[in-house]
Amino acid sequence: MDEAERRARFEAMAPGLVEPLRRYLARRTDPATADDVLSETLLVCWRRLDEVPDEPLPWAYAVARHALANAERSARRQRRVAAKVATLDPPARMTTDPTGGQDPAGDVPLDEALAALRPAEAELLRLWAWEQLGPSEIATVLDLTPNAVSIRLHRARQKLREELRKIEAAAGHEGSRGRSRS
Amino acid sequence: MSGPDGSFDDDPQLRDRLRAADPAASLAPADSDRVARLLEATMSNTDHETTGTPGTAGKPTTRRPLTWVAAAAAALVVGGVAFAATTGGDDEETPTAGGGSDAPAVTTLAAPAAQDARCMVPNAAVLADQEVAFLGTVEELGDDMVLLSVEEQYAGAEADEVRVESPAEQMELLVGAVDFRDGEQYLVSATDGEVTVCGFSGPATGELQSLYAEAFGG
Repeated sequence: MDEAERRARFEAMAPGLVEPLRRYLARRTDPATADDVLSETLLVCWRRLDEVPDEPLPWAYAVARHALANAERSARRQRRVAAKVATLDPPARMTTDPTGGQDPAGDVPLDEALAALRPAEAELLRLWAWEQLGPSEIATVLDLTPNAVSIRLHRARQKLREELRKIEAAAGHEGSRGRSRS
Repeated sequence: MSGPDGSFDDDPQLRDRLRAADPAASLAPADSDRVARLLEATMSNTDHETTGTPGTAGKPTTRRPLTWVAAAAAALVVGGVAFAATTGGDDEETPTAGGGSDAPAVTTLAAPAAQDARCMVPNAAVLADQEVAFLGTVEELGDDMVLLSVEEQYAGAEADEVRVESPAEQMELLVGAVDFRDGEQYLVSATDGEVTVCGFSGPATGELQSLYAEAFGG
């Protein structure tokens, strides 16, 4: 591919990636990190255009996933360096709630149920429901086989339903902690 | 993009409930001018990777040379060079390839050679000159290896884990000197790739904490 062909291919492909990637990142991190990781993800797509498959989005999600993990790791390191040696307690864990609790109308039992799952299970469910990917696409993002994705997704849905049942049953008994939205 | 696979729509009720809680639902589309500028800025970068990578699509496994440089720096022989680079923060445009990056950065150290020098009284000035210093927890304790996960790094290349490797005999001396125990927290310093003993490394308690605070806390 010469430079003009590269540009043409990228210009045809990239606009369709930007919105889904922005959403993917908005669901998983703060706005500033999302911006940084979006630029970086696009840059990787540009630099490695030869490797981008015909269906680029799952591949791009996989790139974003790694870039986000990197960004979060270096953020953790910077906090570590910044911390005074005298405070020997490990740094507080970042909240895993990407909305930062800014969603008063949120589905509290669902958040709790997702939090009760293993992170990998919750991520499968997010890719299924939020990114609306099928098993073979999720397999590309997570570097698994489609078969493994189908099995784990099935199990993760079961576990989520169980957790929801438990949480909602408990809320029913207490009578004070139901869904804030019916 | 729904897959043709039937399991996608297994339990549409649950999926709808999840979708209703989508935090990106209220995200407004990006400004198209801004997107155009972003794409233009991306394409102005001419440092392509042209080498084809074997491996499956969507499995970005290529390590860019920069990543290798960082890894080499972490593999200690260190002069504290990588430190400034990793904490710079103003270098957002530097891309790291997506793949292979889940691997933790590991610093490798060795036990000191048999006690060939007399100990000096531990002091903050000498401690502050150590090339590597960190707070870590012993994750694995073997005959010829101690693996610590790093909680805070005070000096040297940033690492997620530090591996101390030495022949069993030397390691026994080190483990005795530092009193390494599985699951406990230690303050460890090293120079020339060797853990500094003589009171400069040990359990993260009282006096040693104060010494590290004095050396690196300011």
